[in-house]
Amino acid sequence: MEKKVIVIEDEKDVLTYLMAVLEDQGLQAETLDRNAALAEGVASARPDLILLDVMMPERSGVSIYEELRTTPGLKDIPVIIISGFSPDGDSMSVNFQQMLSDPSLPLPDGFIEKPMNLDLLITMVHDTLGATDDHKD
Amino acid sequence: MTQPPKELTQWLQDHLFDAVPMATAVIDTQFNLVYANAAFERMFGDWRGMKCYKIYKGRKTKCLQCHGAKAFEDGKQTVSEEIGYNKEGVLTRYIKHTIPVVNEAGRIPYLIEMSTDITETEQIRREYQLLFEQVPCSVLIIDKHYRIVKTNERARKMLGDLEGRHCYSGLKGIDTKCKECTARKTFEDGKMHTGYHVWRNQKGETLHHHVVTVPVRMTDGAFDMVMEMAVDVTQTLELQSGLEFAHEFLETIISTSMDGIFAVDTHGNVNMCNPAARKFFAIRPEERLMRNELESILPPGFLDRALNGPQHVYLPETAIVDAAGCQRPVRLVGHRLSIDERSIGAAFSIQDLSELKELENAKLEAERLAAVGQTVAGLAHGVKNLTTALEGGMYMLSTGIEKGNLDRIQKGMTMLDRNTQRISMFVKAFLTFAKGREIRARMNDPAEIAKEVIEMYGPKADELGIQLDLDLPAPVSSAAIDYELHHKGTGWNRSGTSDDQKNHSGAWRRHQGAIQTGKRNDFPYQPSPQAPAQSGGGCR
Repeated sequence: MEKKVIVIEDEKDVLTYLMAVLEDQGLQAETLDRNAALAEGVASARPDLILLDVMMPERSGVSIYEELRTTPGLKDIPVIIISGFSPDGDSMSVNFQQMLSDPSLPLPDGFIEKPMNLDLLITMVHDTLGATDDHKD
Repeated sequence: MTQPPKELTQWLQDHLFDAVPMATAVIDTQFNLVYANAAFERMFGDWRGMKCYKIYKGRKTKCLQCHGAKAFEDGKQTVSEEIGYNKEGVLTRYIKHTIPVVNEAGRIPYLIEMSTDITETEQIRREYQLLFEQVPCSVLIIDKHYRIVKTNERARKMLGDLEGRHCYSGLKGIDTKCKECTARKTFEDGKMHTGYHVWRNQKGETLHHHVVTVPVRMTDGAFDMVMEMAVDVTQTLELQSGLEFAHEFLETIISTSMDGIFAVDTHGNVNMCNPAARKFFAIRPEERLMRNELESILPPGFLDRALNGPQHVYLPETAIVDAAGCQRPVRLVGHRLSIDERSIGAAFSIQDLSELKELENAKLEAERLAAVGQTVAGLAHGVKNLTTALEGGMYMLSTGIEKGNLDRIQKGMTMLDRNTQRISMFVKAFLTFAKGREIRARMNDPAEIAKEVIEMYGPKADELGIQLDLDLPAPVSSAAIDYELHHKGTGWNRSGTSDDQKNHSGAWRRHQGAIQTGKRNDFPYQPSPQAPAQSGGGCR
């Protein structure tokens, strides 16, 4: 059965690019209706993985991540952060954790910096999905 | 009885009566003046054919208390103080000796009355009494046993009835003479002495007195009493104490003030009032600054304006030339000093703004760096997205060719084309941003700008589920506004409102937003030094 990946990204071209890459990897790529509530959208899509941009004008990826991680039924869905936001010095994971309003929340399953290393992205996606399978097994 | 020599007897008989300096008259039993001497005539005028009560008192009838009638009856001499009128009709005081003339038969056919004018003496006595009572200090007469024998009215009011009491007991409430006794010094050497004493009044209040003692001498120079004159200096001391406190307080404030304080009098003398001022002008304590030197340091005309202007001069931000010849940012205040409208100079305070300016510059620099950093971060994010989108376009193109997927090739081409254009727009925006622009204020109607923004953002807001309304509660007159910036600013506010309308779950709900026009006076902007001056120094 095809694995389903949801891509949350405001840049239309980047969204198209990511979905094409995921489809080329034999995955089912979807995005969310912007007018729908996030939790309901994710819950109805039941994705195996979420690729999430951080800096978006309408709502930040950090806020979306916090909601996912605090909503029962959604908090175990793996999330890979894709962002062009990379403050100097610390790694993306450290910076991301500093942006969380609740630092005790678990960190995302992976971080990919824009512009993306495609091989790294593909490997990370497969590894994350594989780890999910292992976990389910 | 010894008989005088014949020639003396003759002189006495002929001249004694007129030689007597007292006004002397002879009165018969009917109170007629039968004889009077020259002194009498000089004092009371022509007496011939007049009754005594008429010439003395101007009366038509006998006096009610008639000493003459009594002397005719009892044959005794009397002395009385009388008030009558002199020959000019002026009220006169005189002492009258009434002497009965007894004849050989023992009867009294005549009285001799000798009057001495005491009008002037009495006047002087009264004046002295008035002076004694009303002099604005307490006066006490003290005898050699240190008893108070007499006090004036002021002493009685202030200290109570002290007559008959020892001065040390009445004034200080002690049983023995004071160690430092001013009266004793005068009793000892007969000279005037001064002293300071603390007395207590009847209410137990402490009164501070400055005391002067002088001997009350008789005509022969001897004295057994001392006059003590005491001036109450309690209020003066309190004022002095208050002044000392105020002086100390002000001195401390001035000397420890971080601001330089200096003064210039009308003669051009410059006084550096505190160390801060001397440090400011690099003047050592022994050095003096001349007015012309001060004028060359301060902003042109400032000194004259402070010295001659109607009120204080305040320069919140100006510059002086310091000792090293460098411009130094300062705040200057000058106050004209005057006494009864007469100018006596001006006082100044000067505050060094160097540190403040440095901090301000540092803050501006920090804000500038923060703004630059934020801008660069935003730009980097945008560039990364562009790069990613370009990579995406390349990916779509190459994989489309590989798979022979025309749709994907088309999408890739479109992505490449669109993002190439975005790069071009991006670069143009960079250039505009880098140039910056000055505010160009022109008279514009704020309501018109608001209407245009509503028209421009209305469709987009509607698309996002926001209803934009224009609220014009009252007409707002045209104002000096930078049309372009105001337009952008109002637009940004609207887009910010749009962001705020998103609820926590991430969904858009229908909301209302409003642009309201009105007038506020607390929104100043300061034109840059290069910008043309605006009327009133700024634009609202």
